[in-house]
Formats: sequence, C-alpha cells, structure tokens
Amino acid sequence: MAESGSSPAAQPVPQAVRPQGNPVVAVLSAWLVPGLGHVYLKRHLRGLVFFVLVIASLLIGCKLEGKLYTRVPGEPLTILATLGSMGMGVPYFLLRYGLHYQGNVMGAGFEYGTAFLLTAGLMNLLLVLDAWDIVRGKKE
Amino acid sequence: MLSHFLLMVVYALIVSLFFTLLWRRERKEQVKLFLQIFLGMVGGGLLVAWLMYPFPSGPPAPIP
Repeated sequence: MAESGSSPAAQPVPQAVRPQGNPVVAVLSAWLVPGLGHVYLKRHLRGLVFFVLVIASLLIGCKLEGKLYTRVPGEPLTILATLGSMGMGVPYFLLRYGLHYQGNVMGAGFEYGTAFLLTAGLMNLLLVLDAWDIVRGKKE
Repeated sequence: MLSHFLLMVVYALIVSLFFTLLWRRERKEQVKLFLQIFLGMVGGGLLVAWLMYPFPSGPPAPIP
C-alpha cells in the first residue's frame, strides 16, 4: 500500500532565495532615488512606500528649515553628517546645488528639521543595504 | 506644525513605519513591531521629558 501525502516529495520544498537582478544597478538605483532599488527588484509596493516615507521626512525637514549638512573645515563630524545626508541620493544634490537650500538656523524648527533631513539620508542608506541583501539572495 | 509633541509623533511614525517594512514581512509581526517601536519612541520621549521636568531650562544659548 502506497503512502500518500506524507512523503517528502509531496511536501512543498522551500526554495532558496536566489540572487536576482544586477547588483550594481540595484544599489545605484536604490541610492539615487529612494525606493527605486526595490522597484527594480520587483518589490513595487514596498519601494513606493519607502519612497513616500523618505520624501516625507525630507519635505518636513525642509519645511522646518532644517540644516542640510555640508562639510565644515575643522569639524570632522560634519563629514559623517554630510555623508549621511548624501545618502538620500538625488534629492540631496537637487536641494544643495539646484535649489541652493541651506536651512535657517534662526528658524523655530531648525533642530527638528535637521533631524528629519538627516534621518531621510540615513533611511535611504539602509534601503541601499536592503537592496544589496535582496539582490545577493540573503533576504527575501 | 511647530508643536514639539506633534513633531515627535510624526517622527516616530515615519521611523517606526520604515523599520517595520524593512525588517518584517508578515502582517501580524509588522503590527507588533510597529507598535513596539512607535510606542517605545513616543513613550520614551514622554518619560525623558517627565524626568527632565524638575530641571530648570535656563536662559537660551547664544546663537553663534
């Protein structure tokens, strides 16, 4: 009498997460535009939500006239902060060089705005790492 | 828009949503982690504010 349903062949075998897409394209697109790396990796909805979250943080930071970090000679920590802010990709360069955004230290929301702007950059850096993990097959 | 509490809540909302979507895939786990992060940030902020309440704020620092 043949066994039914309990043999290993009858059960679904979990497939290993296979690498997908081009790592360079995934990482670069993830950095340039928030969420684009996930869209490239066919995580459309997640990419869209990440885009909305990062851009919302960015817009609130600008509305509050927060500081967009740039390197200040003699202050090495500003290098880290600048790199963190640059993590938001194209929006950083658009704000800095296109719109000449600087923030307003006299603004009432300056400190909060700075936190929102820096957070936008750091969140996008995490998205770059997430896209890297997905494209290498280490994450679903 | 410049309410400290409102800004703290908005910030906590954005950050907790972000990490929830980044770290969890299943809906039930997402809700759980979202509540943990969001309530942790807002509650933690209120707790720190409450602990600092007795300390005098002093005059505003001069703007360089």
